[in-house]
Amino acid sequence: MAQQTEPAAKSLAMAKPLEGVPLPDLDRVPDYERGFWEGTRAGELRIQQCADCRRFRHLPTPMCPECSSLAYDWTRVSGRGFVYSFVIVGHPVHPAIREREQTPYNICMIELAEQESLRICSNVLQVEPEDIEIDMPVRVTFVPAVDNPDVVLPVFLPASEQ
Amino acid sequence: MTSPNIIPANANGIRDKAAIVGIGETEFSWHSGRSELQLASEAIKAACDDAGIAPQDIDGLIRYDMESNHETLLTQSLGIKNLRHWESVSYGGGAGNATVGHAAAAIAAGYANYVVCFRAANLRSGVRLGRARGPESIPGGADSFAVPWGSMAPAHRFGMFVRRYMHQYRATSRHFGWVAVTLREHASRNPRALRRERITIDDHQNSRMVVDPLHVLDFCQENDGAAAVVMTTPERARELRHSDTLTLVEAAAQGAGPGNDGIVYRPDLAVAESEHTARDLWARARLSAADMDAMMFYDHFTPFCLINLETYGFVPPGEAKDFVEGGGNIRFDGMLPVNTHGGNHSEAYVHGLTHVQEAVRLIRGTSTAQPPHKTINRVLSCSSVAQLSGAVIIRRG
Repeated sequence: MAQQTEPAAKSLAMAKPLEGVPLPDLDRVPDYERGFWEGTRAGELRIQQCADCRRFRHLPTPMCPECSSLAYDWTRVSGRGFVYSFVIVGHPVHPAIREREQTPYNICMIELAEQESLRICSNVLQVEPEDIEIDMPVRVTFVPAVDNPDVVLPVFLPASEQ
Repeated sequence: MTSPNIIPANANGIRDKAAIVGIGETEFSWHSGRSELQLASEAIKAACDDAGIAPQDIDGLIRYDMESNHETLLTQSLGIKNLRHWESVSYGGGAGNATVGHAAAAIAAGYANYVVCFRAANLRSGVRLGRARGPESIPGGADSFAVPWGSMAPAHRFGMFVRRYMHQYRATSRHFGWVAVTLREHASRNPRALRRERITIDDHQNSRMVVDPLHVLDFCQENDGAAAVVMTTPERARELRHSDTLTLVEAAAQGAGPGNDGIVYRPDLAVAESEHTARDLWARARLSAADMDAMMFYDHFTPFCLINLETYGFVPPGEAKDFVEGGGNIRFDGMLPVNTHGGNHSEAYVHGLTHVQEAVRLIRGTSTAQPPHKTINRVLSCSSVAQLSGAVIIRRG
């Protein structure tokens, strides 16, 4: 977008994850999802991996959709990837986003380096909305949710070329 | 191991076994001021009046599973003497055409004589789908991997498809604008429509960017209202009010590919899940897009016009942007009339059932944007919602 950038222009980059939005209740999440959140709390991005055919999968499921194995591991991945698709949200649909003036914010589908089409939903921090683009390389970092620090959110930062 | 989606399921046991004999709806509004049962009763009564049957004659009901109106409520309210058959079809946009396919199957099987498909909801004055739900925590599932990062409304998820589609095929917001301009022009002729003021391509381009890449004029509406269709056998249809113009269900299909939970995990987001639906539909009907005289598509967001045109084979992948340019091809008087009622975008959002109704009007010749240059014999009503889709071909009998 051809936009004149004043030196003093206020940054619209996300500095941290959203506040006041619903979070997973870790006491209620199903057994086959728990490993993801245990990983983030340990500062690791762990993705469900079939113990038999070794394919990664996300969203988590009890069964491997490729080979039907019910056995899986939670495997630490590199946390590197690229932006597969994204939207910039300008209109707040949740009261906390409206009241705390958290727009604009980005939502990005991050494709992880480990496997084609292996993607997770997240935000890319420290980048102006107009600078986000498809194929942009990113790396993971972890931020405890303000509203419940037991839930640690994986978010991404721009990375140099991989 | 054989993958189930490569085993053909192309028998068409419903072909021409069911007719749509009545269509009816309430007025569409921002605030109906009445219950959803009231809306359903009014729309179903209107559809029965159009058919020339009494509500008490109904013995089959196909509802959306999102409906608040359950079979017991409606049996009571409509005075149904013997409800022989009922089904709930899941999801919103994927269900509209699917209810008609299910009703046709029930009729073809001889399970019911007069089947009603309906949707009644206060989607504006009641719970709005475009708003985030309450502040409570999430018990796991797809939302728990989306909402904490702010992906909480349909546009946040469908926008991912749109971005990817734009990237892959060099489509621009302006192309989506031509769809908006055309649908609004159709609505400007339709007294039922909620939004009738014509817009220009500049109005679209200058409208508020709600979820980049989607402008506010790319969105469907959120409104109150109800719609219903009555179906029966072709033999009974010949005894009813619209015996001069039968509207038959020629084929129907539903489909969902991998990665549809959570909407945004399909392997290729530039291709809609309706590739499965389209393949089965055409194989069952032994027809192709070239045989269709008009297309009613589920327009939750305008870019899905382009995606439908491509996945159902009206144009090759990537060429829909040229086809919609200027709007002429998709206007009611164009090569392929599209959403001549104005669609979810400008007429009203009743989860896709109004598209089936408009298909019937086009064949009867009673659309308010009736194509002046050709007789409409076959209409495709279809969806590419992005997770599960449905489609139906309605033909002149």
